[in-house]
Amino acid sequence: MGIWFPDAAWTPEFGPLDRAVRRRGLLAGPGSGVHVLMIEDDPAIAEMYRVQFEHDGHRVTIATTGEVAVATLTDDAPDLVLLDLLLPDRSGFEVLASLNERLPNHPPVVILSNYGEPSMIDRGRSLGAIEYLVKSRVTPAEISRQIPTWVERGRGGGQPDS
Amino acid sequence: MTLVVLVEDLTTAGFVALGLAIAYRWYRERGRAQGKLTIALVALAVVALLGRLPQSLVLSLVEVVALMVSAYFVLLFRDEFLPLSRSAHWVARTLFAAGIVDGLLLVTVLQKASPPVLSAFGFAYVLAWALLIGEPVVRFWLASNRLPAVQKTRMRFLSFGFGMLIVLLFVDVLGGSALRSPTAIAITQLFALATVPLIYVSFAPPSLLRRIWRMGEENAVRAAMQDLLIFSATRKDIAERAVFWAVRLLGGTGGYILDPGGNVIAGERNDGSGPAVRAPLHMPGGEGTLAVIAGTFTPIFGTDEIAQLRAYATSVSAGLQRVSVTERMAAIEANKTQFLNLASHELRGPVTVIRGYVSMLEAGMLGQLNERGHKAAEVMSSKVSEMNELIEDMIEAARLEEGAVTLRAVDADLRDIARDAAAAVAPLVDAKHSFDLDLPERRIRVRVDPDRTRTIIANLLSNAIKYSPDGGDVTCVVRSRGGIARVTVTDQGLGIAREDLATLFTRFGRVITPQTEHLKGTGLGLFLARQLARLQGGDITVASVLGKGSTFTLQLPVASPDGSADTARKTPADAMSFTVRDSLSS
Repeated sequence: MGIWFPDAAWTPEFGPLDRAVRRRGLLAGPGSGVHVLMIEDDPAIAEMYRVQFEHDGHRVTIATTGEVAVATLTDDAPDLVLLDLLLPDRSGFEVLASLNERLPNHPPVVILSNYGEPSMIDRGRSLGAIEYLVKSRVTPAEISRQIPTWVERGRGGGQPDS
Repeated sequence: MTLVVLVEDLTTAGFVALGLAIAYRWYRERGRAQGKLTIALVALAVVALLGRLPQSLVLSLVEVVALMVSAYFVLLFRDEFLPLSRSAHWVARTLFAAGIVDGLLLVTVLQKASPPVLSAFGFAYVLAWALLIGEPVVRFWLASNRLPAVQKTRMRFLSFGFGMLIVLLFVDVLGGSALRSPTAIAITQLFALATVPLIYVSFAPPSLLRRIWRMGEENAVRAAMQDLLIFSATRKDIAERAVFWAVRLLGGTGGYILDPGGNVIAGERNDGSGPAVRAPLHMPGGEGTLAVIAGTFTPIFGTDEIAQLRAYATSVSAGLQRVSVTERMAAIEANKTQFLNLASHELRGPVTVIRGYVSMLEAGMLGQLNERGHKAAEVMSSKVSEMNELIEDMIEAARLEEGAVTLRAVDADLRDIARDAAAAVAPLVDAKHSFDLDLPERRIRVRVDPDRTRTIIANLLSNAIKYSPDGGDVTCVVRSRGGIARVTVTDQGLGIAREDLATLFTRFGRVITPQTEHLKGTGLGLFLARQLARLQGGDITVASVLGKGSTFTLQLPVASPDGSADTARKTPADAMSFTVRDSLSS
């Protein structure tokens, strides 16, 4: 259980379990059980990715709103966040920004969107996303294959610039 | 002596005719200002007539009063459109009253006075008259400067005519016996006679004269009309200009344009200020009105002006139509682009799911498929890829239309890009086609967006294969000469008819013939290819013979060796000026 208080202004610290989960993430390889938090409001897309990722041995948590996502991040910290930009309650950018603010050591974030405008890609990157993908251009298998790499990159220097 | 009498008679007749003419006009078309000028000129006619009759006290009394009245009413006429101040009114009334008293004394009690006294009173009388009439003469001249041509000339004629009368009267009074010779009288009378037509044309200029006066302004009006028809951007703008020039053209004081609903869309509607001449305007949605209001000095519009205004209104109508059509077109274009953008992004969602599951089916992840199932999955996979490409093209087209394309220009070797493009289309090359990629030995340095440039070349190559359904050689030659790099793609396929070349590069501009109608395509490929080439400072040209094949050439500027010259352009406008050649026009 993490000792992170949602309203705390100081830098939060991860609890032992979180650290353990993160350590497991560092060792993640194909089928090594990475915990993926997918923030995606379209159930068809979320379900499809879940089938692929679980097939490849990952654990998947689906959050359909930004609110649920933030709750999941604190309760059951994932190794990787796949973030959609069009969410019912707020934009993915807002989720990412609040994540940066409230949880500076959050797991690496990969944006998966239907929009590929250069300005949006730039914004995503400036907010610290380690990758920005247009969903229709990649297959679930291609994403799944990249998951360990992303977790690795997140460990190396994927945290947002201050 | 008879000559003098003849000239005197003529002058008298002239002034009487002038008085009758303006009185008739006033009778036909009454207005306060016109009425005042009428009183002034009729009074002058009375003076001229009485001067020819045998001397009598009553006639002399009437004469001095009438002369002063003529001057006072010229001043009141000026007051109608160049209003006098309150104090000026008082001064004028005092002067008028003093002048009349002076005149009455002159012809009654002072008849027997000594010559100096007589001259003094005579001079004072003429001075009062000259002051009353001189002030408007000067004001008319000054005011005429900022008026339209016709108004201006009329004002000046009026000013000049009355000015001449003042001079003549002073000469008459001050000249004394020196001017009593028949010749002198004849000359002064001739000058007086000359003022008659001057004053006449000032209030009733014949159409021929009006046309002549207008000539100077006609060029400006023509230029303005041209602007109106070609350049004016908005309805409001075009309407404002139209009113301005219509007023100038006719010499009115104001004007306005009403839309079919009767709302003023330009100018100011103030019908109370004078009669107006109106011309119908054919506007989208009905008939509008272009009206020019006559001021106090332009009370009467002739048929000439009405014809002129109607002709002008036709041009204005055309201009307004054009603007509304272009505005509507722009709105439609914007809607189209918006739709393209929205639809394509919305399509990405479902395509992601279909593509994802199909790929999973193919991989056997959802259970093993039998052979037929595999084949079906393969077909679905290729179709969904086509769909995906179409969506990408649509998004790119919408971005181009919005000017939102951002190029990531880097230094690159055009040979590498061509190689990548050739590799991308390699799966399309079947047994019927032979494909040859001809690259030079030395690198061709270009500063372009490599992804976009690869897309352009791949598009040309896949078109070459697609539009040569019976097979043949497809060649791709990459060369650089004279600072321009060229990628020339040649096929031996269907070719394009000359008349179809123009639509080739337009958005959705597919050339449909019996040979091509079964071939798939959206007509976006070449549009995007050319636009992207132009955005990078280059262009695409085509040469084709129907039935023999086509040659498409992508031209791109070669980057200078130091790499500093950034030839890639970000805006289409810049790219246009960079276009080297467009074979469509040849």
